Amino acid sequence: MELKAYAPGIYPRSDALVRATRDLDRGRVEQDAVDDQLERDLREFVAAQERAGLALLSDGMLGWQDLFRPLAERADGLVARPLTRFLDTNTFYRALLVDGKPRLADPVPAPELPAGRWLATLPSPLALARATGGGASPLALAASVLAPQIEAYAAAGCSLVVLADPFVAREGGVGELLSSLGELPQRTPLALQLPFGDAKPVLRELAEAPVQAVGVDFYATSLDSVPEDYPKEIMAGVIDSRSSALESPAEISAFVARLSQRSPAGLSLSTNGDLQFVSEGIAREKIARLGRFQTELRVVA
Amino acid sequence: MSDVRFLTREIGSLGKPSWRAKTFVGRPLEATDVAEAERWGKKLEVEGHEELLEGLRTGSLSRAQVDDWAAIYAIRLLEKVGLDVVYDGEQRRTEMYDHVAAFAQGFELRGTVRSFDNKYYAKAAVVETPSVGGPQDVEELEFVRAHTDRVVKVPLTGAYTMEDWSYDEHYAHEGALGASAERRYEARRRFVADVARNVILPNVEGLVAAGAEWIQIDEPAATTKPDEVPLVVEGFNEATRGVSAKKSMHICFSDYSALWPHVLELDDCLELQLEFANRDSREPGTRTEDRPGYADTLKLFKEHGYPNVGLGVLDIHSDFVEPPELVRDRILYAVDVLGDPERIQVNPDCGLRTRSWDVVYEKLAHMVQGARLAEHELNRAHAAPAQA
Repeated sequence: MELKAYAPGIYPRSDALVRATRDLDRGRVEQDAVDDQLERDLREFVAAQERAGLALLSDGMLGWQDLFRPLAERADGLVARPLTRFLDTNTFYRALLVDGKPRLADPVPAPELPAGRWLATLPSPLALARATGGGASPLALAASVLAPQIEAYAAAGCSLVVLADPFVAREGGVGELLSSLGELPQRTPLALQLPFGDAKPVLRELAEAPVQAVGVDFYATSLDSVPEDYPKEIMAGVIDSRSSALESPAEISAFVARLSQRSPAGLSLSTNGDLQFVSEGIAREKIARLGRFQTELRVVA
Repeated sequence: MSDVRFLTREIGSLGKPSWRAKTFVGRPLEATDVAEAERWGKKLEVEGHEELLEGLRTGSLSRAQVDDWAAIYAIRLLEKVGLDVVYDGEQRRTEMYDHVAAFAQGFELRGTVRSFDNKYYAKAAVVETPSVGGPQDVEELEFVRAHTDRVVKVPLTGAYTMEDWSYDEHYAHEGALGASAERRYEARRRFVADVARNVILPNVEGLVAAGAEWIQIDEPAATTKPDEVPLVVEGFNEATRGVSAKKSMHICFSDYSALWPHVLELDDCLELQLEFANRDSREPGTRTEDRPGYADTLKLFKEHGYPNVGLGVLDIHSDFVEPPELVRDRILYAVDVLGDPERIQVNPDCGLRTRSWDVVYEKLAHMVQGARLAEHELNRAHAAPAQA
């Protein structure tokens, strides 16, 4: 079985970039210094993924302050404002205030990565709606904000759009999510990832989702929650983005073998959410291991 | 009925003066830093502060001496604004999590993680069963007690927050992939219990033996995972088991509805000091609609009857200085809901470390004035002759 591996989501900034952004906030450096370091961080992250042999490259969203901010900054009718805890982490995002009819005025520029070899991460329509506190509907946000962004990425050679939904597994809303996903363009394959949540309550219903793969966090979801003969590809979150511990090859191998026995329609490997919840040094090693697992487990899967 | 008198106190941390912060990172002091030390030395009437100024100018002070001066300044600030209960503004501590993780065995730093925007915090991993060689904060307490006559309350980071803010490379690492929720929960329970028993309790015992009258356990992570509130309670009880001092718990920026009924199992907990003002209106008034930040949570205190409430009346994330009348009305509203002023004491929402000392001074002074205004209202109503 072909086994691909990806690292979607926000990648941690290097110590140098953290310092640069801090110095910018304190007026010690200009924006140019941050931009230069961002460029260096991007090059190093891409090189790490290339060395690991990941199937698709990510830009690590290094300039994104959270999963929603750049979309809000480029949309009419959305303003990023109150600090809000992200799930049960000690990291906060800025929730979105709705100030008019949301509409993406100017898509976030696509990263400069080789066409046909990169993936993008966006919030799912339901996640974006949850960030507005119910101020806008998933359907409206799918049509007027996410669809034009996905089109822009597709035109720039994006091969996979991972839609992150950290909320649906915890708070429900699968019906709304399914309807809103239907509003999204399909010319680029879509995957729906459920970071840091127990996917058990929603997996059966998500079998109907118009996406190629469903991403499951197996550090929050037990293996036996995956129905037998699941009709979608499972993007298995086997790299724990919330743990500093490095994953053991033996454990991953045994797990992938057991998961394969449940015969999902396909299987890929990924992180279980944004790697920004560990420091960059740890994240880099996790990327290397993800690549090794991809290579070594092809036979197992 | 005796006159109502509300106890006023801080929660924990104050910002560090620039001369203290720069000394510790090895940056040179500027004339403005020394001028600040002089201004506050005079304003707070810190005895002998000229010695500090001279030491800062000549660079002759050790880090320990600078720490001592920062602690004295903080104590004097809290006294000067009129608080009944004081500490040292945690001037010797780097930060509430790192203070413990760096001292205890079993934790190793694992770099920084984003808090929000461009703000980051240090995070450690537990790599073996945590322990300490002895109590951590006894010298700190003894210094405070030697420099104040006020009641002293010692803030300590709680076991659950230490667990929740750490990576786990020891308790749940092996076999975590695809494991059941029960297994993950049990691993976290063991982590909390070990921190409480092996790290926090020895410190609490040492502090009480050294004369601490009041231990405050800080659990800002308490409701981060609502189904784990029982672990917060277990951690508190284990960390304070058998000690004869006042015990309380501080929680902030959390979903308080998740706390009950579990907190009814807290052993001998005097009160929960909670953040309220952050979610409240800034307009005065004592009707329920005037106090949106207080109504729902105070109902829980009323309904369950335990523990008492440490009423957060100052928003620590804003430079807005609450007028005494606003503080008064927040207190009067709480009295009205609970029906018993003896269940209420007064404090800021949380530590004030993110505010400048000028703002802190004004906020705390107004908090004390507001408490006096509320007492006046309540005592006047009580003393008024019954209407025929």
